[in-house]
Amino acid sequence: MTVEPSFTEARRARFDAEVLPHLDAAYRFARWLARSPADADDLVQEAMLRAFRGFDGLRGGDVKAWLFAIVRNCHLTGIAQRDRRGFVPLPEEGDPQHGALVCPAPGPESASMRRDEERSLARLLEDLAPEHREVLILREIEELDYREIAAVTQVPIGTVMSRLARARAALKVRWSMRSEEERDAMR
Amino acid sequence: MPCAETESRLHAYFDGELDALAAAAFEGHLESCAECRAALAGLEAMRSALRAELPYERAPAALAARITAALDREASASAPHKQEPADELAADPLAALAALTTLAARGRAARRGRGASGRSTASFGRGLLTGAGGGLLAATLAFFLISPHLISPRGALLDDLVNAHVRSLLPAHLVDVESTDRHTVKPWFAGHVDVSPAVYDFTAQGYRLLGGRADYFEHQRAAALAYQHGPHVINVFSWAGEGALPADTTRNGYHLAFWEEGNLRYCAVSDTGWPELLKLVSLIRAAEGQESHG
Repeated sequence: MTVEPSFTEARRARFDAEVLPHLDAAYRFARWLARSPADADDLVQEAMLRAFRGFDGLRGGDVKAWLFAIVRNCHLTGIAQRDRRGFVPLPEEGDPQHGALVCPAPGPESASMRRDEERSLARLLEDLAPEHREVLILREIEELDYREIAAVTQVPIGTVMSRLARARAALKVRWSMRSEEERDAMR
Repeated sequence: MPCAETESRLHAYFDGELDALAAAAFEGHLESCAECRAALAGLEAMRSALRAELPYERAPAALAARITAALDREASASAPHKQEPADELAADPLAALAALTTLAARGRAARRGRGASGRSTASFGRGLLTGAGGGLLAATLAFFLISPHLISPRGALLDDLVNAHVRSLLPAHLVDVESTDRHTVKPWFAGHVDVSPAVYDFTAQGYRLLGGRADYFEHQRAAALAYQHGPHVINVFSWAGEGALPADTTRNGYHLAFWEEGNLRYCAVSDTGWPELLKLVSLIRAAEGQESHG
């Protein structure tokens, strides 16, 4: 038998068992937030370190939503720092300034998907306002429920619901335009 | 266009956020409202397209190694008396990957070594703290302290299921036999596990059968079926069990849904949403029902 593991080692083992398994999910989410794969790498690493430092605050809660919230906060902090203006408050929804936070071309872009990029759903998603893209990714792809999405995006559940409805409507408009174009091209 | 209140109910229904009563009421409304039925079909079409079309990638192995190394540095910085060999892992991504690979095994070994103490009891206690009221909590804790051996096997099963799921997500661990259709997996199980579970593919419904795998828990060779659902992997474990069926629960961010069929126990494990996981469960159960009656 070895000696009893120290507190630090036990904490690390707990982190490895409870948080690290969600690395892939955190990375997927980061790819939608960050400008490039390299930025996503940095974002996820920063988020994991912050998660480790704040791990003691997590008590049996929702690990994935908690980790996503940290990834998102790291992302927003990073944008604020790049703007070299220190703290930048998040623009309200509907504020014409909210576009300032949009990265020009975020999202996963592999060589294979570049071909149909203009028409792909991924591309249509990228055209959405960031808070609309985010809520769609969290619900339809990551399959978080309303409560979890509220925790990640730090807004009330009512806001999550109205945002989700608006996001779906906005994507539907773009999507049906694409379908019409495809139908026209078939003729 | 439905009115705003109906629309928000429509989305909540679609997202599985209504309780049973409200969901039934809304289904009553759906029967009489063609507009809402069409809107629901539209939402479903877009969701299916998103889940089928959107690209997703796993975290690169090099990133996992970088993070492991950074965590090692962080941990050793907070414990200055102990030097962690962080640089070895930083220099060798494979070593870091191997370290991740042994996690599940380490957890299990640790539990065996310490009997009914350690992490499994700690997290069990945490679940109680969040889930139970004060008086009940005290009573349960007393019971727990008096007879830990009565409780820990259940906690151990949940740990085993989550560990088996997490381990299956590591590169090259997901399936022992790939599925082209169910007829490649079912015969393989016959020679490799102790049970003969139902094997179905639900690609058309958004749950593609990837293949089968043997896992060892509950003192037997249990069967695992792996399904792909969007970016999520769902493992459906089956084994021969007795006693009370565990209640559906969430552990370490993974949902566990249990059911039984004949003398077989089933558990679906994933980080999908609850409605999405339960949909696969109902698909499997419906297919089983059809097979046994038809």
